[in-house]
Amino acid sequence: MDLPHQRAGYAFCLAPAMFHVQTDALAAAWRAWLCGVGAPAVLIVAADGEWGTPDRRLLDGIRGELRALGAALVVVTEGRSFCFRPDVDRDEPVPERLATGAGMRALHGLYGVEAAAQVPFTLTLLDEHGAVRAQTSARAEGGLHATLLATLRSAVENTRADERVLFSRREVVLSSLTAALALSFAASCRPHAKPPSPGAPPAASTPSTAREILVTLVVNGETHQLELEPRVSLLDALRERLALTGTKKGCDHGQCGACTVLLDARRVNACLILAVMAQNKPITTIEGLSHGENLHPLQAAFVKEDALQCGYCTPGQIMSAAGLLREKRAHTDDEVRELMSGNICRCGAYVNIVRAIRSVQESGVPT
Amino acid sequence: MKSFDYLPAQKLEEAVARGEPRTSRFIAGGTLLVDLMRLDVERPDLVVDLNGVLSSDIAWNEAGLTLGALARNTDVAYDDTVRREFPVLSEAILAGASPQIRNLATTGGNLLQRTRCAYFRDAAVPACNKRKPGSGCAALEGYTRMHAILGVSERCIAAHPSDMAVALLALDAAVHTRRATGERQIPLGDLHTLPGTTPELETVLEPGEVITRVVVPRSPRGRRSTYLKVRDRASFAFALSSAAVALELEQGTIRSARVALGGVGVKPWRAAATEAALVGRPATSETYRAAAKLATSGAKTTPDNAFKVPLTERVVARALERAGALA
Repeated sequence: MDLPHQRAGYAFCLAPAMFHVQTDALAAAWRAWLCGVGAPAVLIVAADGEWGTPDRRLLDGIRGELRALGAALVVVTEGRSFCFRPDVDRDEPVPERLATGAGMRALHGLYGVEAAAQVPFTLTLLDEHGAVRAQTSARAEGGLHATLLATLRSAVENTRADERVLFSRREVVLSSLTAALALSFAASCRPHAKPPSPGAPPAASTPSTAREILVTLVVNGETHQLELEPRVSLLDALRERLALTGTKKGCDHGQCGACTVLLDARRVNACLILAVMAQNKPITTIEGLSHGENLHPLQAAFVKEDALQCGYCTPGQIMSAAGLLREKRAHTDDEVRELMSGNICRCGAYVNIVRAIRSVQESGVPT
Repeated sequence: MKSFDYLPAQKLEEAVARGEPRTSRFIAGGTLLVDLMRLDVERPDLVVDLNGVLSSDIAWNEAGLTLGALARNTDVAYDDTVRREFPVLSEAILAGASPQIRNLATTGGNLLQRTRCAYFRDAAVPACNKRKPGSGCAALEGYTRMHAILGVSERCIAAHPSDMAVALLALDAAVHTRRATGERQIPLGDLHTLPGTTPELETVLEPGEVITRVVVPRSPRGRRSTYLKVRDRASFAFALSSAAVALELEQGTIRSARVALGGVGVKPWRAAATEAALVGRPATSETYRAAAKLATSGAKTTPDNAFKVPLTERVVARALERAGALA
């Protein structure tokens, strides 16, 4: 089998149609499984060592961007294969019968991908039907993980720019990912347009605007060290660097409350705090409110009382309510309304939000 | 947001020395500065963090109440002494912002809040004398429903947004500062300046001068004080008009009075004519209503904000009524 992308010098292949190469049972199982992990899915088949052990920060970033896109990542190597779904917190293994021997051959047949020394990796973008939308095996300059992160990030940006386009969200994500893949992987193997002429002065280095400093954040009991610019808000650090995307960005001006977290046990707007100023103080986000699978009483009450419609403001509402309960200053419906006024709900779920908070207060359950 | 360097000051002298007016900004709670930096209205090269060098204590002694500049709005508003001795201060703070913001915002920072004038906050608007001296005033030909009617100039009609400052003005508070040449005290009424021909200057503070604490003297009017605020929605909105009033009554007669206005002035506004019309008069609705008529004397309105004159009269009358009825 000699697919175009495997020929020397061929950097990038946009394959609008799916490959109908092999339809045996294992291939069908592969496709069914890949369709089930989430759409779109980024499938990386890599030689041992090519995926290796990525830097944790990069991996966290990749997870964060995948969540933002609602895309899955499937990494298949000889040693270890796993899958990350945007809606599940931890990696899951790829079913063993698919990730070994005959299963790997079926995958090769299905998408023309294999892990081999001469092709260190192949990255394939699959849509919800398991059809190939883009494929590349070009080496990326910054390394596979960093380039993947940059690609996903840029795709997220593209989807934002495309918000007004009347395609389905899935199509927007797919086309953004395709464009971002083409740019980052194809660009990385483009030869330099103009080699510096001998004797010419070396190009001035880009002026450094990076003023990153080491910032220690204690989030949900875990200590994280991040290199951040002072201008990074706590909200952006949580979402973009720690992949804690439960905390939402609404207005980014302290007016909507979607970004509410507890800082030193007090509710605050994470968008109005510089991360560097939140150092070494305990921070609790919505992710840290539940104990594993056991919902916090407020979370359970919001579910029970149907205290949401679209759900975007809900993490902020719940964190704000958690602060309100600690403060013990709201004793009536009206006082709850007044002291929840920093949280806006565009769906207007206020009636049930108040009811949910009051039900927790009245239950006397320790929070 | 433009990139900047961050300096967590270790000593007050260090902060004062780094307070260069054009290129550096102090940060305490950050609720205003972070917002304005994100809007590109503030573009400092250096942000000096005061959290390590100022006090957040709230203390009550012979002199009265001392609020450390870092005392958070929430802590001041719910302080037992404040609620007992100066209810107007607690009420004013709780009438402003949201619980989340009050948990961050500080006493010193609140006094130095910048206006909510939409033309000032939109860096894409070319004309704003406050943002860009000499560039003109877009508000004068714009939508001015929220703008000031007292103390305005031909260069700027932006309203001062603070509720807390209005209460402190009615309580004769003084601001204590530290500057390169030493310490000084500034009566709250003298802290903010009128826009005149230099709306870019908003206070008498010198470059690098830091508010260290606010002192509220004991007062025979303190307990009989209240804050009334009228706004476009029931909570979490800036004032269209507000009044902080404090009265001293003796056998049904008003011995002394303080009346300060918010939402209508270019700075927290003392209604001196109203105060004068109250003193020596019986504490009755007639007295309150007559005195309230004088609250906005000298007002210069636009078609959009002319409603603030009658509104403010009613707000003041109602606030006086409420204070007079306090036990």
